[in-house]
Amino acid sequence: MKNLLQIDIKRLHYGDKTLARDIKLEVGHKERILIVGATGTGKSSLLNTLNLMNQSYEGQILFEGRPLTEYHPHELRARISMVMQETFLGVGTVQEILDEPLAYCAQRNVDLSDRKELIYRLLENFKLSPDYLGQKSSQLSGGEKQRIGLIRTLLLRPDILLLDEISSALDQKTSGIISDSIFGHYPGTVIAISHDPLWHERWNRTWRLEGGKLIDNGGVK
Amino acid sequence: MDISYLGVALGLVLLLYPFLIFAHLKIKLSRQLFISISRMILQLSLVGIWLEFLFNQKLWWLTLLWMLVMILTAIFTIKGRLRFQRKILLPVITTALFTSGIIVMPWVLIMIVKPQPLYDPMYVIPIYGMILGNSMNSCALVLERFESGLADNWQAYFTRISLGANLWEGVLPPFRKALHSALLPQLLNTASMGLVSLPGMMTGQILGGASPLVAIKYQMMIMFAIFSAATITDYVAIRLYIVKRFDKYYLPKGER
Repeated sequence: MKNLLQIDIKRLHYGDKTLARDIKLEVGHKERILIVGATGTGKSSLLNTLNLMNQSYEGQILFEGRPLTEYHPHELRARISMVMQETFLGVGTVQEILDEPLAYCAQRNVDLSDRKELIYRLLENFKLSPDYLGQKSSQLSGGEKQRIGLIRTLLLRPDILLLDEISSALDQKTSGIISDSIFGHYPGTVIAISHDPLWHERWNRTWRLEGGKLIDNGGVK
Repeated sequence: MDISYLGVALGLVLLLYPFLIFAHLKIKLSRQLFISISRMILQLSLVGIWLEFLFNQKLWWLTLLWMLVMILTAIFTIKGRLRFQRKILLPVITTALFTSGIIVMPWVLIMIVKPQPLYDPMYVIPIYGMILGNSMNSCALVLERFESGLADNWQAYFTRISLGANLWEGVLPPFRKALHSALLPQLLNTASMGLVSLPGMMTGQILGGASPLVAIKYQMMIMFAIFSAATITDYVAIRLYIVKRFDKYYLPKGER
């Protein structure tokens, strides 16, 4: 069923520069989509349109049948969530960092009864021991920071996870752990930009941005 | 005790020392010193004459008009000092300064000083001048700190809104920091008052012949008013700045 996200972008631009035209796509549940293309073709711009972080386009994007622009941005971003290349964690212990979103609008009135359990499960998936919860963020390595950042976003229980080059600064081993836990355990849809060859074979669909067009392989490997 | 014009002129002799030091060190400040001092002499002389006239007239509309000139000058001084987002600053600063003035001044005049008549320019103008001057400096500082707080860490802001923060929650950390750094110097200054230096207004009153006991009461009143007005100004300025700086998707408008 392909009704999670319907993208109909007539023109994607950056300032006056047109990046791509006529992007028409449908995205279903549990899809694993990789966006590829040379630098400057608009991969990040496209990814950012999906959670209202970029408005430089003409056209319409529907999420569960409703235009993105009709959602409260905070509500939408908790459901279509982005993790960036360099995760900003802030100061404090890992526990405090994971709890940061609880103070935000989108997480009020959310049922938190199994939150603790979920945290432990995610830590385990990402090969981190529960002892990390008491660690200060300043003591974490780059790979650990990126994993904590991902866990923090996954705790929002997003329907769609947007990943922008999250493994580009990581070593092979950490990158492998991250891809294993996302592909093995995350139940939602993933749309990602990645240059990591380790990740490439695991996608079931690619979108190639080339010469101002988007070529969708339609989910065939 | 009045000082003679010759006395004032003799005061100028003291400036020989900075001129000599600048020449000795070849610091290019002599020209600026000359310009600044000349401007100060000219402006104060004109204002002195003007205030003498204003105080004698005791006309409510003239007092109000002069307050308007003061606030406009303050607005454009801040605008000239800030080098970012200039298109949106004007309404922000204007509203902030008007708001704090409208809240603080009536309280000071009606409840505390009670001049007769209420609009007596001899009280209204100096008191408003002190309140406005401090609000102006604080407002410039808080806006500058807030914008640079955002600019230093857009990544943190985008992370917060990516995690489900609304606009207000997204800007709250730099807002807090900006307000803190704009108000803390004033608080420290207040805490050392009387021991380190006698504040300008009090010094003026004492030199002008008022009893120190009267002078401290005025000084306390003015400190309460200044701090209150500065905080109100800063708060209103940033709240409005946020509304103008971001769009409905919480994304910054214009340059980052």
